[in-house]
Amino acid sequence: MRLRSGLPLGVNAAFFDEAKRVRRLEARLTERLEGAGYDEVLLPILDYYEPYQELLGERLLRGNQADQLYRFVDRDGQLLALRYDFTPMLARLAAPQIGSWTLPARLFYRGDVVRYQEPRPGRLRESAQLGAEILDAPDVGNEQEALELFVELLLSAIGSDVASAQERPVEIVLGVAGALDELVASSSDPAATVEALARRDRRVAGLGAEPLLDVVKTGLPQDASSLGEHAPAVEELQQRRERLLEALGSDAAPRRVRVHVDLAEFATFGSGGQEGEHPYYDGLMFRAYLAGAAQPVGNGGRYDGLFRALGADVSATGFSLGLDQLLEATS
Amino acid sequence: MIRIGLPKSRNLESALEALRAADVELDGFSKRRLRQTVRWTGEDGTEDVELFLLKDWDLPLYVEYGIADCGFVGTDVLEERGADLLAPLRLANGRSRMSLIGATAELPRDGAQIRVCSKYPQWTRRLLAGRPWGAEVFRLWGSVELGPLLELAELAVDIVQTGATIREHDLHELEILSEIAPTLVVSRGAFQRHRKRLNELMARVEAAGLVGS
Repeated sequence: MRLRSGLPLGVNAAFFDEAKRVRRLEARLTERLEGAGYDEVLLPILDYYEPYQELLGERLLRGNQADQLYRFVDRDGQLLALRYDFTPMLARLAAPQIGSWTLPARLFYRGDVVRYQEPRPGRLRESAQLGAEILDAPDVGNEQEALELFVELLLSAIGSDVASAQERPVEIVLGVAGALDELVASSSDPAATVEALARRDRRVAGLGAEPLLDVVKTGLPQDASSLGEHAPAVEELQQRRERLLEALGSDAAPRRVRVHVDLAEFATFGSGGQEGEHPYYDGLMFRAYLAGAAQPVGNGGRYDGLFRALGADVSATGFSLGLDQLLEATS
Repeated sequence: MIRIGLPKSRNLESALEALRAADVELDGFSKRRLRQTVRWTGEDGTEDVELFLLKDWDLPLYVEYGIADCGFVGTDVLEERGADLLAPLRLANGRSRMSLIGATAELPRDGAQIRVCSKYPQWTRRLLAGRPWGAEVFRLWGSVELGPLLELAELAVDIVQTGATIREHDLHELEILSEIAPTLVVSRGAFQRHRKRLNELMARVEAAGLVGS
């Protein structure tokens, strides 16, 4: 019997050495996480669709996330969805019980996410992820710990020898969700301005928000006060950048890790993150690029609002790493 | 080292003009070599730049996959195939237009259902959305003006540069739908990696008056 040998678009299999590479990377990263006091949680791949529909209705997820969900009616007539993102699933399962947890709770997860992606380079529809979250008392920020751990895991994934470091510099980009909202709202065409920001299109200068031209070029406006109420958060980003570089020590710029504060990287209109990716972030956001990869290999941020909407008053900070993307970039 | 994709099409001259304005040394550049290294002197010194000569339709793919850090490609290609790329600037020279072309000088009457041929069917559907007449859009691979000429379709949507082809065949340019410009595209990762050099390159191109709106 001859069966179709190919797999659906955006889906891969790994045999023997390739599979070993995946598991070794996973093992290296989980060992580091456990050593740092993080406990693993195992999440299912099947869930009801209804909770995500509620979150979409609350605008904590964006409409196009619904388009990314693979959902189906099972034989019991229930509408189910495949896990497309660990964080919303973790939040909805943890929120009801977090009152009985000892905080801060440090946890990690690993597994596949399944989401519809347009057939574009580097876009997998099933991909392996590993991530971590820190849940703590409200208003207790753990961003620095999350950020430093994120970078440490990335460096561990790349390999520690100098030769690989020089060939695989890591670019870390920091931003704040909604930092450009006031400037965008003041432009003559907010929708066009967001599009121009996202493309770093220098024609944004013609849309009436002059400071945004500097944002497009350098990531920051020349005059920080133009950011209004977000100015202090962006000032804090600069400090966070310095603390990260200090923590990295000899791994830091220019050879191995470079850290940029860049608001245009996360441009969106309204609170939340980049459309279609992780829109629940409502504070610090960060992202990592490796040489040889055009797409980010990991991202993270703060997302208290997601838990608050689910009835849990906690601070939440986390990140995820795309293991397939990491292996692709380091192969 | 920055790797730049150059289009093999009519956009090549505009792209080369921009690189020269940015002080990329192109004296030894050959249009016959698909891959070559040239020198560029920036604020931080002289370094190698790798150039790839690519088909226009393929260039965005090379940048999206990270093979090239950036490249020059026409907005017609970007509009038709889409690309998750940054597009920081458009060149002023080498522009053309996407136009609605017909065998007669009249637009379809309201409510009419017509056929429209184009090499850019996806973009054409978006350009013609909201018209008071319906359009069945289908792809032709070349000589699009033959569509209305031989009555395969009532209208064509195609690139017009000088208008000579239209005049030669007694066709009519009914409407300019969009301007097409050679555009610098950059991958997100490459922008973060080469931010300073790319900003410097773009500043020089702007200073030379080669950037349009």
